Amino acid sequence: MLEVVSPGALLTLQDRGRPGLAHLGVPPSGPADPWSYEVAILLADGRPDGAGDASSAAVSAVRPVNGSGPVALEVTLGGTRLRAIETCAVALSGGDLGAELDDGTRLAPGRVHRVAAGAEIGFAGGTGMRAYLGLPGGIDARLVLGSASTCVAAALGGIDGRPLRAGDVIAPVRRGHLDAVGRTWPAALAPHPARSVDPIAFVPGPDLRHLHGRAVEAFRARSWRVADACDRMGIRLEPHDGVEALAPGREILSHPMLPGAIQVPADGRPVILFVDGPTIGGYPVIGVVPRWEWPRLGQLRPGYGVRFAAQDAGSARAAWDRQRAALAAGTARAGADLVWERLADGAGW
Amino acid sequence: MPEGRSEPPAPRIDQAGDAALIASLGDDLDIETSGWALRAAAWLERRRAEMPGLGAPVPGHASVLVSFEPDRMSENELRNLLLAALAGTRQRAQRGRVTRSEIPLPFDGGVRHEIPVSYGGSDGPDLAEVAGRTGLSEKQVIALHASVEYRVLVVGFMPGFPYLGFLPAALDLPRRATPRVRVPAGSVAIAGRQAGIYPFETPGGWHLIGRTDAALWDPGRDPPALLAPGDRVRFVPIPPRRPHP
Repeated sequence: MLEVVSPGALLTLQDRGRPGLAHLGVPPSGPADPWSYEVAILLADGRPDGAGDASSAAVSAVRPVNGSGPVALEVTLGGTRLRAIETCAVALSGGDLGAELDDGTRLAPGRVHRVAAGAEIGFAGGTGMRAYLGLPGGIDARLVLGSASTCVAAALGGIDGRPLRAGDVIAPVRRGHLDAVGRTWPAALAPHPARSVDPIAFVPGPDLRHLHGRAVEAFRARSWRVADACDRMGIRLEPHDGVEALAPGREILSHPMLPGAIQVPADGRPVILFVDGPTIGGYPVIGVVPRWEWPRLGQLRPGYGVRFAAQDAGSARAAWDRQRAALAAGTARAGADLVWERLADGAGW
Repeated sequence: MPEGRSEPPAPRIDQAGDAALIASLGDDLDIETSGWALRAAAWLERRRAEMPGLGAPVPGHASVLVSFEPDRMSENELRNLLLAALAGTRQRAQRGRVTRSEIPLPFDGGVRHEIPVSYGGSDGPDLAEVAGRTGLSEKQVIALHASVEYRVLVVGFMPGFPYLGFLPAALDLPRRATPRVRVPAGSVAIAGRQAGIYPFETPGGWHLIGRTDAALWDPGRDPPALLAPGDRVRFVPIPPRRPHP
């Protein structure tokens, strides 16, 4: 059980979100970096459904598992401080935001740490944009429209639809479960997608007929900088000094949007719509960032330089399949490691 | 606004990333095309139970976006399904077999709503500018805005935001050149031939002419959105809630 001492830039609860409600104007929400969310959940529980290790299946049977997945904390940029009300296991993943305990012990991402009662976890800031913190069994939270994910813009999910603030208590679904401590994500086998230095892929379209004939080429050829306006609703891109933006996008008849859609507004500075973004938009979409690249979008932070490369949908699907396979391989290895440690402890299971 | 078209225009179908397609019926805003998009979305929604891998369809003004799980359904299957959704509505209409139980016909029914609006002053900070740019008095703008029954064309952008058609042509203005950073919740707004109501405080580029207390969105209500596509809306002027500046 944790208490928020300071929320930092933005602290929210996220599960896998509420897809399928865009016809009501509800964005899917969910983790901005889905890879790291899954890693936090898998480390905390050894299983993607949050039902916990086999030994605790009987406990989880009492409480039905949330259809949107277990709830994790999404930490943004830094400044966040959390105090352990009781000793607990904390799974950490995502960007390395400089997490450490108040005694100076560094908390590396990709590992389950034991945090003693009274200790404080601080995120001083580091590289990347977001870190995820999971508790065994998931964090207890109320579902709104089928999900606990916080969507601040629409005041949905989390605690009263707002970002977490000082004094909020983050309680696990069940208490005192320390079995996962020490479990480590095999980063060499399944590295975070943001380790890649390749341009971020986008599938061109669907609104190319409303854009300049060489718009895709111009977007691809430029190097962009992530603007300060970079949040869960959208990521604005700006050209580097002395470089032109794209030709202005002109208003079109609005059509449904989805996360990853790269809109070209009137000032020619593209905006990548993201997980809490608008479900309908009126500027042309030059391309859509495919699912496998979302973890990298979730780790973009203001000031980062970024380039893009066109990719056909089929290649993007193949990349998605490889990413799922890597996640599965990492899970198997992390689970195997845990079994080995328990044997070494003579604990059995 | 063409009337009585017996079939939807031929759609163009484009990829929207690696796991979604969007079918577009054209680039113009008219109530017939909007109706075809809504019907196609409703038809697709009903296929979901028998087609795992088919995502929830999202209707637009003249388009339908559908996500899919590529390992359970191929892109070509979805392409054909989208064509069938649009052709299907046409064939059924031609055979005279359309019934409300079979395909929802949003523009034939629709719940009637009256939305009370406090116009002008701090509730509608753009009323004077709209009057100036249209060459009308503020009273005439209010009277025109409240003179017609609107249809909810589509809900989206943010939870519960209704796009309403159609605003009288005399009030047709492009969006504000510079969007407002903060539009208050409940703001009643216009842009082009559409009217809208902001359920939440948000940035926005429409002209704000009034404000309502109607609860457009309540996640504890089922459905949470007050207005659904096809519903009919009238704006009813009420005395200003706040003193005018």
